[in-house]
Amino acid sequence: MGKGLSGEIIERHADGKQEGGFLRVTVDFVLLHDPTCALLLGDLKELEATVWDRDKVLVTVDHFAPPSTVERANIVKDVLSFVEREEIANCKTYEGICHQLLVEGPWVGPGMVVLGADSHTTTAGALGCLATGMGSTDILYTLVTGRTWLRPSEAIRVDLTGDLPPYVTGKDIALELLGGAGEGGFLYKALEFYDRHETIIMDDRFTICNMVVEGGAKNGLFHPDAITWSYLKERDGNGRQFPWSFHGEARYGEAIEIDLSYLRPKLALPHSPARVVDVKEQRGIKIHQVFIGSCTGGRLRDLEATAHILRGEKVAPGVRLLVAPASQRIYQEAIERGYIQTILKAGGVVLNSSCGPCGGIDKGILGAGEQCLSTSNRNFQGRMGDPSSLVYLASPLTAAATAVRGEIIDPREVL
Amino acid sequence: MTLLPATIAGTAWKLGDHVNTDILHPSSYFSLDEGRVKEGLREGMQRLGKNLSNNLSGNGLVIVAGENFGCGSSRETSVRSLRLCGVRAIVAQSFARIFYRSLANLGIPPLECTGIQDWVKNGDPVLISLADGFIELGDKRRCAFSPLDPHIERILECGGLIPYLRREQDGV
Repeated sequence: MGKGLSGEIIERHADGKQEGGFLRVTVDFVLLHDPTCALLLGDLKELEATVWDRDKVLVTVDHFAPPSTVERANIVKDVLSFVEREEIANCKTYEGICHQLLVEGPWVGPGMVVLGADSHTTTAGALGCLATGMGSTDILYTLVTGRTWLRPSEAIRVDLTGDLPPYVTGKDIALELLGGAGEGGFLYKALEFYDRHETIIMDDRFTICNMVVEGGAKNGLFHPDAITWSYLKERDGNGRQFPWSFHGEARYGEAIEIDLSYLRPKLALPHSPARVVDVKEQRGIKIHQVFIGSCTGGRLRDLEATAHILRGEKVAPGVRLLVAPASQRIYQEAIERGYIQTILKAGGVVLNSSCGPCGGIDKGILGAGEQCLSTSNRNFQGRMGDPSSLVYLASPLTAAATAVRGEIIDPREVL
Repeated sequence: MTLLPATIAGTAWKLGDHVNTDILHPSSYFSLDEGRVKEGLREGMQRLGKNLSNNLSGNGLVIVAGENFGCGSSRETSVRSLRLCGVRAIVAQSFARIFYRSLANLGIPPLECTGIQDWVKNGDPVLISLADGFIELGDKRRCAFSPLDPHIERILECGGLIPYLRREQDGV
């Protein structure tokens, strides 16, 4: 079995205890957000336990941000009391979506084991770490012990070759991959990406790793290269040490090559992120709402793409365009670069940095039979609102072009 | 001492392939209130075309599903709702990773059994022998399920990950 770099990271973190196929490993960093953190607080209290290392935890309030009901307000209150009581060193309230905040801060990098109480924790694997999501009880175990139990997965090597054509983005790569594998096609697998020409920017890598979980993968990991090290240098300054020290070739059970030069803008049809077709095949579908945001589609490059399409244009009558920058830092940068002004001028509504419409939490929930095109990661039935609503997933370029036309359209037709 | 029973008897509750947690337990039912969490499963079942609200009051339910059961969000409320509604075990062709772990962590055995959804009808009585590794259907046919990994079995024997942690801390 080829366990890839992910398997090697697990083995290097093993503390010698083994049960069945599982190794007990030490964990380098843990991510929690308001709802999944709230779920473990009762058990933590009952255990009369404390957090193993206050510096190795990031708690964010990003789902109920700010809360829209009394119950949610009380959940946020409980989470913030926990942070204060345990003196958790890193807490971000209403500052953005946890997966973006995790990679913005000086916490995680190549070779580390990173867990989060959210399935999209896979996002951080773009930095060359083993990052995966777990349920609240698993995360509680780690919070108390600093350890977890992991079974090294079969790894798939994914070589990304060729040059990405204009108007094709990381989101299209992610959808292409999911369309090929099908829902659950990567079940339990580690997906390890090699950007052979070192051309895929970090924001796109986050998008790709974010969505590997929609194919069932345990984690996605980009082999660290010049793009990774330059991102980390800009973030943490010179001299930061990470446990990365891999030499030679990792072993893989399977290999996939995607020649990017053949890629076209992609679209996932309701109700599965793996029902993928070319956008142009579905041209003309009427859309009521366009959402550009989330932990997979609200980064700076996504807002840049949105502004690029919207410059001098207007959102079509009858379409609501909602845009949520993935973090306050991205929001500010987008203001400085003029993207936000362009979006507003075109008739878009800018929401605060939070999960919001993606999980049907608040701000932009869909009514019966409404059709939405979203840059988020899941279009499961009822996720964004009424069970009869329909959600299509696509890149921010496709989303912005669709907002202008009022119907699904390949962005290359608008430009 | 093991909290894992030798056998589990129940009524089959059949679901399809790729049942995700957003439909099984819609996010608007995320709550710390047990009543609300239970309601979420009832709503989810309705969305899945199953009107099994009467069954929710009884004990001894066994979910039988296809591939990739429980994919999507990690919100543990979905698994909690199953426990609160008396689901004793889940037998599926395969499970999504986080959901699989969470089931074991909350003491519900996740059993992998190839082709099980072709054998079982909704409402069938089923008898699971955890000791001998098979599922017996109403007509006495038996299907073997894949053996549980010893680590997962140990968690289940403790009654979930939290009691497992207590034992680990006590050095048992």
